[in-house]
Amino acid sequence: MFMSKLKEALICLKAGRVTAAFPLGPEPHPPGDWYRGKIAVDVEKCIGCGGCANVCPARLIEITDDGPQRIIEYFLKRCTYCGRCAEVCPEDAIAMTREYQLATNLNDDLYIRTELYMGPCGRCGRCFKPASPLDKMMVTGFRNQSEGK
Amino acid sequence: MQTWRIREPVMWLCEEITGNRKTYGMNLIGGVRRDITAAQKPKILEVVDRIEKEWLKVIDAIQGDTPLMMRLEGVGVLSHADAVDYCVTGPTARGSGVAIDSRVDHPYCAYDYLVPEKKVQKGCDNLARTLVRLEETLESIRLVRQGVQELPDGSIMANIPEEIPPGKEGVRVVEAPRGESVHYVLTGENNRPYRWKVRAPSYMNLASVPAMIMGQELADVPISIASYDPCFSCTERLEVVDRKRGAIRIYTNEELTELSREKTINRK
Repeated sequence: MFMSKLKEALICLKAGRVTAAFPLGPEPHPPGDWYRGKIAVDVEKCIGCGGCANVCPARLIEITDDGPQRIIEYFLKRCTYCGRCAEVCPEDAIAMTREYQLATNLNDDLYIRTELYMGPCGRCGRCFKPASPLDKMMVTGFRNQSEGK
Repeated sequence: MQTWRIREPVMWLCEEITGNRKTYGMNLIGGVRRDITAAQKPKILEVVDRIEKEWLKVIDAIQGDTPLMMRLEGVGVLSHADAVDYCVTGPTARGSGVAIDSRVDHPYCAYDYLVPEKKVQKGCDNLARTLVRLEETLESIRLVRQGVQELPDGSIMANIPEEIPPGKEGVRVVEAPRGESVHYVLTGENNRPYRWKVRAPSYMNLASVPAMIMGQELADVPISIASYDPCFSCTERLEVVDRKRGAIRIYTNEELTELSREKTINRK
């Protein structure tokens, strides 16, 4: 019995101190390029095709159309970090970051909302294609005007 | 706790291969999403070698540990007949001498090429179940090594141009670490599943607990329950029996959550 206790003690001693004072100290094992963390959405690149919402297994991407605007909401508290949205996005507007410290009390911390101006159908008024930059400017105005210059 | 330390490199390896420690998100219909690169192969083999060395040391150390053996030997006996009656699976069944392993009995994926050896113990007690797990770890290490060495090149994803037709059913038994995990799927419209049902192995293994702990001391109950490695999140239901009145009440997940919330508030 003492032999086995000695052997067990030896395993523990040989391992030494394993735990790391992580939030206070350095990261013990920083994630690499392969890591799938919180998603980042680049609104400039998004064309509002809805491929991400179609493919998301957790159904956390919701698309609602409000006139010429397409609102895409990401409720990331349900995210499983599978990265399918980033995989299918034709414009690479969604990217998986290496951010993993996502514990929070606030739902808003895990929520992304993007509003996209689409070309509305002349007859029914629903969104059907991304607007050209010129169309956008005819409705939203030029950047200089909107800033009140 | 040392076993957790030994396991940690595996988690890092999983993260590197799949992109996440636990929620791998690897499998799609038709294949897997990421390939094992040539640079990862020697890394896997190195980790596996290190784990095998450390695991053998652990096995060697705990085998002469009399207090540990006293907790395990002859405790939590689940006889062969009971094991068959309760339909237990996985290491719980193999610890009671029931030689079932769906990787061998119904081979799927690559198990035609990687044939695991069934590790069966006839002790029927906690020790037998522990021994099955100890030996199966080594068996898994052997399978990983063989798999990495004999991994063929080629496409990792099949091309499925057509939509999956609705109303088709599929059932598959998969050997999970705790036993047989059964998945049932009914396909629906728009390339989506209509119904998905999972029967986790803890569902049957948990049912065998009354037979396992019959006539035991209360102090032996936790270790007997732990011996089949319950995944309580797979079987989150509770039945309370009032023995005086014979009334049975089943608590659902929501009720249990509400009860625990009340308790926390009362404590404050």
